[in-house]
Amino acid sequence: MNNFASILLYLDPGTGSLLIQFLVAAIFGIILFFRKIMMEIKILFYRLFNKKPEDKK
Amino acid sequence: MNRIESSFRDPDGFMFEFEKEIFRVVNLSYQPDYDHLLSSGLYGKLISQELIVPFEEVNSAQFGLSDFYKVLKPERIKFISYPYEWSFSMLKDAAILTLKIQKLAMEYGMSLKDATAYNIQFHKGKPIFIDTLSFELYPINRPWVAYRQFCQHFLAPLALISRIDPGLIRMFIIHLDGIPLDLAAKMLPFRSRLNIDLYLNIFLHAWSQKKHNADEISLVQVRRKFSLSSMISLVEGLEASVLKQCWNAKGSEWAYYYDEDVHSSEYSQFKKRVISGWFDEVKPGSIWDLGANRGDYSRLAAQKGIDVISFDLDPVCVEMNYTNVKKNKETNILPLLLDILNASPSIGWGCAERPSFYNRNRPDMVLALALIHHLAISANIPLALIARLFAGLSDHLIIEFVPKEDDKVKILLLNREDVFADYTQTNFEKAMSVYFRIEQKIPVDYNNRVFYLMSLQ
Repeated sequence: MNNFASILLYLDPGTGSLLIQFLVAAIFGIILFFRKIMMEIKILFYRLFNKKPEDKK
Repeated sequence: MNRIESSFRDPDGFMFEFEKEIFRVVNLSYQPDYDHLLSSGLYGKLISQELIVPFEEVNSAQFGLSDFYKVLKPERIKFISYPYEWSFSMLKDAAILTLKIQKLAMEYGMSLKDATAYNIQFHKGKPIFIDTLSFELYPINRPWVAYRQFCQHFLAPLALISRIDPGLIRMFIIHLDGIPLDLAAKMLPFRSRLNIDLYLNIFLHAWSQKKHNADEISLVQVRRKFSLSSMISLVEGLEASVLKQCWNAKGSEWAYYYDEDVHSSEYSQFKKRVISGWFDEVKPGSIWDLGANRGDYSRLAAQKGIDVISFDLDPVCVEMNYTNVKKNKETNILPLLLDILNASPSIGWGCAERPSFYNRNRPDMVLALALIHHLAISANIPLALIARLFAGLSDHLIIEFVPKEDDKVKILLLNREDVFADYTQTNFEKAMSVYFRIEQKIPVDYNNRVFYLMSLQ
């Protein structure tokens, strides 16, 4: 059975445009995942380094 | 009842004009989606965030329609503009708005079934979504049907502008459904392939389109489902891709036109006083400022509560103007790209789908400051034709005559034979008087320039 429910649309979405989204979404997903981790690491470092000068005071 | 010429592709409804008001018919085929849009709270959410143009359901008895579900009356957009008249940031903001709406729609169990730049208009200084019928019930397991359109209407032109030239926004005039991705892929510099966002959404996407050109989707063996989390990744990824597209608006000959002129401050103060006085006298509700540059004089009118459209041919000026509109939260200035020598034509089906610059609405007044010499001398347009064109635009005109002895005109004539013996103040007045009554005339102590306030005879 076709996985795309009600695939016939008033605009032609383009077969190639539909299929490539599996790959694009997967890669975006990975990039966004790593970006989130990097962000958290940055926040962690920011906190560590910002605390030090305060501790000295 | 006149059906609006641009509204025929979507079988779920259409727009029409009735007694100078605009209405939208919702067909029975759209009933489930329409009901969900309202009952789910999505419509309310979009309205509260001012993302979509508000509408009200109206009594449809007066229109004599049959087989429809609802008739809606949307809030009127004062001036319909098209992406080929926008600056880079306007298109970028329209792209971000489209994705923001798609994300909200997903939260409420819906999705956009198209993503064209024509679904967006600029209203009160901000982009706003105008197509109520673009929402469909979220199609489970299906990739985003509007992905192709989104890339063609937003990502490809943004990439072309930021990497090649801002003038490429005008490619929208020849490509009705956005920039074809194979064309964008051919035009973009080779190093664009190293950019992951452009590689995936333009280059690989174009390749995939070509590869599956004639494949019927149900025949393609797709075993996987396109999950909601994939859809979220896609939309968030696209958002990040759009946000990364940047264009540094600079290097224009026009944008610093006034700054270079050391003598001009007294002149521009005087000019502002004269024009401001005339605004108070004529009290126009709307003005088109032709050759508006960064919109300094447009702002003068806007501050008096007049709706202004600032047209300029330079994408850098339009971009700077729009940046100011955003920064100052101005609600009544719309900066648009327009070359008056080659104004936006009528395009699309029957040349009626998207009306030309001359076939939209009419302003109460036109402002043509320091423009005439560019038309008459740079572009060799005879004064009689200039007068006729202005007469067709509006009932009132503020125009500045720039004589031949002006420094700017001397520059224009530097390397040309002076074939403009007719270009004199007397001939200018004579040509304009065919159509206009010269109400007031104020000479300025700067290169013998003269300001005129004129009204149609």
